[in-house]
Amino acid sequence: MFKKTTLAASLAVASALLLSTSVGMASGTTRTETATAPAKASAVGKPRAVNYARMRPEALAEHLIFNTDSYDLAQPTQEGTTGRDRLTQDETQKICSELAYKRKDIDGKTAEKIQALAEATIKYPEGGIKLGDWKKGRELAWSGFGFRTAHNPDRHGPGREPGANCYNCHQLAEDRMGGTLGPSLTGFGKLRGSSPEMLKYAYDVIYNPHVYFACTSMPRMGANGVMTQEQIQDVLAYLFDPASPVNK
Amino acid sequence: MLKKALRALPVALAVAAVAGTSAAQAPEDVLQALIDKHESAYLTQSPQNLMMMPDNPAYDLIEQGEALFKQARGPKNASLEKCDLGKGPGVVKGAYVELPRYFADTRQVMDLESRLVYCMKTLQGFTDDDPAIKKRHGSDSDMMKLQTYIGSQSNGMPWNPPMKHPMEKAMRNAGEVMFYRRSGPMDFNCATCHAQTGKRIRASVLPNVNVPEEWTKAISWPAHRVSHDHARSSQHRVLECLWQMRYPNIKPGSDASIALISFWTDAARGQPAIVPDLKR
Repeated sequence: MFKKTTLAASLAVASALLLSTSVGMASGTTRTETATAPAKASAVGKPRAVNYARMRPEALAEHLIFNTDSYDLAQPTQEGTTGRDRLTQDETQKICSELAYKRKDIDGKTAEKIQALAEATIKYPEGGIKLGDWKKGRELAWSGFGFRTAHNPDRHGPGREPGANCYNCHQLAEDRMGGTLGPSLTGFGKLRGSSPEMLKYAYDVIYNPHVYFACTSMPRMGANGVMTQEQIQDVLAYLFDPASPVNK
Repeated sequence: MLKKALRALPVALAVAAVAGTSAAQAPEDVLQALIDKHESAYLTQSPQNLMMMPDNPAYDLIEQGEALFKQARGPKNASLEKCDLGKGPGVVKGAYVELPRYFADTRQVMDLESRLVYCMKTLQGFTDDDPAIKKRHGSDSDMMKLQTYIGSQSNGMPWNPPMKHPMEKAMRNAGEVMFYRRSGPMDFNCATCHAQTGKRIRASVLPNVNVPEEWTKAISWPAHRVSHDHARSSQHRVLECLWQMRYPNIKPGSDASIALISFWTDAARGQPAIVPDLKR
């Protein structure tokens, strides 16, 4: 009995030594990984050593984002969620990211899927799309404020509404300088007219542009809750109203 | 006459050789040489900044950082002269352009900032709560002075992160995935702004990750940010981009931040570092 116990004990010590040596020897097994093993264990169900060098790049990226204490995953957001939610991808984000990473153009079937996903998100104002106030739309289009978190969270509130960020990427009226990541929208309503079809098209593109442009870089302002229906209609007025500086 | 010319020749050659080692160039000369051989709206977007470069306020931090590096400090009253930044204890010259890299003593891939923190803890005995380590940002911080000094000792040298150890490759490759990974309410990834040439966000021309000649300036930190009136680090650049992208706070020295920095440094491979730089 005594012998057996000693044997078992020495075996246990030996295996512990072996374990620690193998962990230590395995190139690419870091202290950080050892430290995060419990978190991983609770997520997966059993403890597992993580070797970065043996993981596929996609899997390692997910691991680094969610399991290595790299981000403040508990950080509150303006929309009442957390940092973890901000970093968790939906299907559209997943598909479009993978294409970009692989430097691949979107194929017809995937584009159809993205478009169908987008279509399902779009909600219209009761009583149809109407132009709002172009002056409000102008300020919304200019403002890049809102939903930023990280080290300096935007405090939304009365007089501090999140903006539409349009000028970040688009040239609109010529009295202000816009970016060039997106196409110029100068003279938008004047060039296209303001038929109900055109209004719906512009509303859709702001609400969820993937319905026309699968995997576009343009944010889904309505679908992702960045802008309200009312705000979208104010921006529509800025785009279509003959009195708007966009059409001067 | 000929004799005189012949006698002068070795001197001229020696001078040329010295001038040829790009480390002897000032950052403004490194940038000008890039502009001369590569047309880029990003590199030339601010004539004022180009004019200000010889008076870059970050130049003052080089000397201050060198003094800090060599001064016996911290609970262990030691200097950083035994700090191994990857090229052996105390070797500062050329160390920065070969970071991030894998360090056997920590079994981690580390960037300049995380390696510096490691040295300050192990050699000097500082802890996370000491201001020397805790204060990561601002021209008045030890961290920015030290980083600017160390970075300046790689000025003009080509970026050359090793990519020999499997961990270095793994971190670089994961960083690439993260660069193209969309998330958040605006669906942004790094590539939203940094995968095309000559595009602007409002008035700012954006650097393209696929063009090493302009990407080198984008990743040349520390740099004095004119609009902040402070020298800023690579880690600060990551933080600010993620803020604009509506991402949550990223922790300095975190593996995710180092993966991103590994990818972006590799993307500038072969092009000369401009450190300290002066940016908008």
